[in-house]
Amino acid sequence: MAASAKGDFFDSSRAAVQDHELQRKLESASTRHLDHFAIVKEEFPSYEDEKTAAHRIKTDAIAHLDELLIQLTDKLQDSGCKVFFAEDAAEARKYIVDLVKSKGAQHVVKGKSMTTEEIELNPALAAAGIDPVETDLGEYIVQLRGEGPSHIITPAIHLSKEDIGQLFTDKFGTEYTAEPEKLTAEARERLRAIFLAADFGITGVNFAIAETGTLVVVENEGNGRLSSSMPETFVAVMGIEKVIPRLEDLSHFLEILARTATGQKLTTYTSFITGPRREGELDGPAEMHVVILDNGRSAMLADPVLREALNCIRCGACLNVCPIYRRIGGHAYKSVYPGPIGSIVSPNLFGSAAGYLPFASTLCGACKDICPVKIDIPRILLHLRWKETEGEHPLKWPAALERARSGARRFAGIARHPRTARLLGKIAAQMLKPFAHNGYLRWMPPPFGNWTKYRNFPRPHPQKRRPAPAENQAP
Amino acid sequence: MAEAHKILATIKTALEAGGQPDGHNHAAAPAPARKVAVTAGAERAELATSLARELEAVGGKFVGILSPDEVSNRIVLLAREIGATTVAIGEGVSIDMEEIGAALERADFKIVKTVPVADVERAAMRDRVANAELGIAEAEYGIASTGTLAVISTGTRPSSLTLLPTASLIIVQIDRVMADLAAVLASLGPTRLAEHRMTLITGPSRTADIEKRIVLGVHGPKALHLIVVWPRDE
Repeated sequence: MAASAKGDFFDSSRAAVQDHELQRKLESASTRHLDHFAIVKEEFPSYEDEKTAAHRIKTDAIAHLDELLIQLTDKLQDSGCKVFFAEDAAEARKYIVDLVKSKGAQHVVKGKSMTTEEIELNPALAAAGIDPVETDLGEYIVQLRGEGPSHIITPAIHLSKEDIGQLFTDKFGTEYTAEPEKLTAEARERLRAIFLAADFGITGVNFAIAETGTLVVVENEGNGRLSSSMPETFVAVMGIEKVIPRLEDLSHFLEILARTATGQKLTTYTSFITGPRREGELDGPAEMHVVILDNGRSAMLADPVLREALNCIRCGACLNVCPIYRRIGGHAYKSVYPGPIGSIVSPNLFGSAAGYLPFASTLCGACKDICPVKIDIPRILLHLRWKETEGEHPLKWPAALERARSGARRFAGIARHPRTARLLGKIAAQMLKPFAHNGYLRWMPPPFGNWTKYRNFPRPHPQKRRPAPAENQAP
Repeated sequence: MAEAHKILATIKTALEAGGQPDGHNHAAAPAPARKVAVTAGAERAELATSLARELEAVGGKFVGILSPDEVSNRIVLLAREIGATTVAIGEGVSIDMEEIGAALERADFKIVKTVPVADVERAAMRDRVANAELGIAEAEYGIASTGTLAVISTGTRPSSLTLLPTASLIIVQIDRVMADLAAVLASLGPTRLAEHRMTLITGPSRTADIEKRIVLGVHGPKALHLIVVWPRDE
């Protein structure tokens, strides 16, 4: 379910818009989140300065990505890690599946990782006869339901506590409860036993420090600590953009990430992992592998506008403020990465199947305002819209939309001649008069019917004359 | 690693193709100035109070600022209060954990002492630590502004001590409490960081995955207790 055809998105979003129960859950969760965020932001006077610093460090790091990755690789190897560069999802999957098999691992545990969702690792492991266990509570819940996450921070945001209570009763035969405390305790007990028996662990990476070869994993539950320190073999999967130059850069990111992602000052656990365990140590893997994934990211790097999107630290805040996400939820996007940032990265990571997502935005700018690394999301969405319609490989639009576009081009031609445009406008207003009801057009004759399919137009008033623009020269 | 070279070459080409970030880019601003405070006396107490307050705000439990002579007895009391029978304990950074272990043993608690293990002993040692109701560890640093404790994992002080037992007690020396994260990272430095696994701990394990409601104690400890200790010479 990495990405889908446009038909799916149109259908799934239409269905989601009708799902008022889903909207109630999304509104409630997003509002609670934004309330927490408002409090911690208030208490952090240097927040704006930190955002600027984080943006600057990330932009510099991305501009020197090749050098930083070489340095990181050297340091990782010095610390005893095995490093594998994967050009695409298939290479990354194959490396990990082969490794699990060669170790003869029986119990694979996974910490929360969007990158492993991106490469569709779980289905690949399942096909090889290995059932990995997702150990982040939200991921565990959606895995039990046979779903993917619907939010990059809160995977089960689309479910109520009653939904989850019923799920646990169905799967475990336990007595029904909708109390989050009891449900969490149930999951803790089941997963603790699995952790202690696990022989293979997989997590994502939030930051990789080039100067030390240290991987930083941020989380709240302890599943990241357990997945990375209990099993004998540990694999960390990271996109090429996760590297930052120095340890001292990190404090700028950790505090803003926690604030925007979960409304905390710092997340409960931040693990700094430099290589496998040392002689005599109780914790840590005997063998540690780092998979560094390109999968379309270097193509984003080559586009000066798109490159900025690689600054993303996956905090998920843009989802919480997005009016589209809050109506349709994550699953409707039919992509692992939903919401505003998902609409940017998905077409680049998953190809043209997700090419319609940049159009699923009102460009209201709330995402840009909240982004902790100051990504100008609306600007990039517009750039992608341009690419998808006028670029080298334009999307194939449905015939009706193609007609609308050529209509718009003709309109643009007419509008360059104000007198003609005014005359035609008067004629059109007269012609459309009979179709109006209560001041709105709900239906128009072909070939304009598609315009009124999804929205109503105010009835045109022929007497309303637009003032002549000061400069009416076409550029 | 033929693949690595290929991908790095692709990245280099892409960087050149993308050119310098365009004019829209936010003006580069210097990083905000960080003050690495030199602390003494009253200021130390203030930082420790802030650490305690912030930790309590995220569900941690502050036991108190104690003198070294009080620590053992207070820990025995705490272990009784939470109904522990087995306590896991490692080596301290600067605190004498032997003394604490001995006091707990005299009070009839079962002690699991973490020592460097051979591969065959690992699983058994982990089970013993996991079955303890309380794990005791000393933090390398405290962070006043966020209520955070930085623990470094070694052979005698494994990360498991603050992860597997039902409750966790972390002790920190008052002169190791710093103003903020930047100060801790600066004091630690890249070389020492790279020697061992380090974990920043800010409160007990928690989740908000069910309707964004906060529940403590998912995979890690359900409770986190903090003791701040004055140095012996003061």
